[in-house]
Amino acid sequence: MNRRGFLARVLWGVLCTIGAAISAYPVLSFITHKKITSKTVTFNPQDQASTVTYKEGVYLVKDGPTPYALSSTCTHLGCTLNYDVVAERFRCPCHGSVFDRSGKRLSGPATKDLRRIPLSQAENGDLVVVLEL
Amino acid sequence: MPFLSDRITNRLLTALPRLGLSCFGLSLVSGIILAFVYRPVGNVFQNVEEITTRIPYGWFFRQFHYASGQMFVILMFAHTLEHFLKRRYRTYSSREWAVLILSLCLCFFVLFTGFILKGDKEGIFAGRIFMNLLLSIPIGGGVLSRVFIVPGESFFFLPYLYHCMILPFLIGYLIRKHVREWMPGQGSFFWATMGIFVYALLIDPFMDIPPDAPVNAVKGPWFFLGIQTLLKFLPPLWGGLLIPGFLVGCLFLLPLAGPFLQRFLHYLLVASLLLGTYISL
Repeated sequence: MNRRGFLARVLWGVLCTIGAAISAYPVLSFITHKKITSKTVTFNPQDQASTVTYKEGVYLVKDGPTPYALSSTCTHLGCTLNYDVVAERFRCPCHGSVFDRSGKRLSGPATKDLRRIPLSQAENGDLVVVLEL
Repeated sequence: MPFLSDRITNRLLTALPRLGLSCFGLSLVSGIILAFVYRPVGNVFQNVEEITTRIPYGWFFRQFHYASGQMFVILMFAHTLEHFLKRRYRTYSSREWAVLILSLCLCFFVLFTGFILKGDKEGIFAGRIFMNLLLSIPIGGGVLSRVFIVPGESFFFLPYLYHCMILPFLIGYLIRKHVREWMPGQGSFFWATMGIFVYALLIDPFMDIPPDAPVNAVKGPWFFLGIQTLLKFLPPLWGGLLIPGFLVGCLFLLPLAGPFLQRFLHYLLVASLLLGTYISL
């Protein structure tokens, strides 16, 4: 192949790559559009009876005078945690991470503590959590 | 006697891939039947339970689809393993070899999406782990994850799209040469149908775990148990993507490597396979 032929091929390759990128960008932007969705979880007074209550992805913990809400999603890879009533620990059934009742990471492959979710109190005594999905 | 054993081995090696291809056809047919009733939105677990327990012959079609899909991938894996152990990557062109390995990867991915689509606790967790693994990629992970799976009410939709539309066509396209060459083999199609039919008739579907049921341990699909174990000890990016990706990459690159590197990669892959099998068992 002579120099002119080589340069023509390189130019053609560059043009094709740019063309593919220009076509791929809108397609990728379209199919990967992030839709932010959230759901509201309400703990009515009956739900608040025990120390730790689970509802739709949220653990409500009444550890002291102020209750708090923890995400039930393991910070490792997103499995839903179980609450071990005897040991008072949250355990991940997938890879074995363990968290204490305040959400602090104790052992296992997870590296972060559990996420605390802001909790608001309605006039009728319900505790309301807005969970971002 | 060695002659006889060679003959039997050769017949097996000829028959098994053809049986596998027949299972691919059977899984397509049973999948089309299931698609009339399966809904990837709303309460998917309830929908699958209805198919299994209430809709006439639903249990049969579900088991038929499960067994034919599993058999197709197992026999496809055996076919690839035979090529690998006989070191055919030395004689194949790198393109032919890449098509073989890519087909196998897509086969496992189609099984994995099927595992998610069960909609039970194991399926949901497998989907979430997959999504979080992709999110752990430092650059472009978020975009990449949304190409395959999104959280929320559309959680099952993209795996469904891949399982029903994209992957079967891609696999069919990649193995089109075999389809043309082997499909006239009516004997293998008959025996595959009979075997899967008897299995679906006699074996009950596995018990599905409801999404909200508390269970002490959740297992991933059998072919990812090795990765599940790695994820207990290594960071997600390493255990879930880089190490498995490196091994798959080695498999792809075998025909391009020099003799020494080829031998090294061959034994590395054999050791990884044995270790993965040991962990899975």
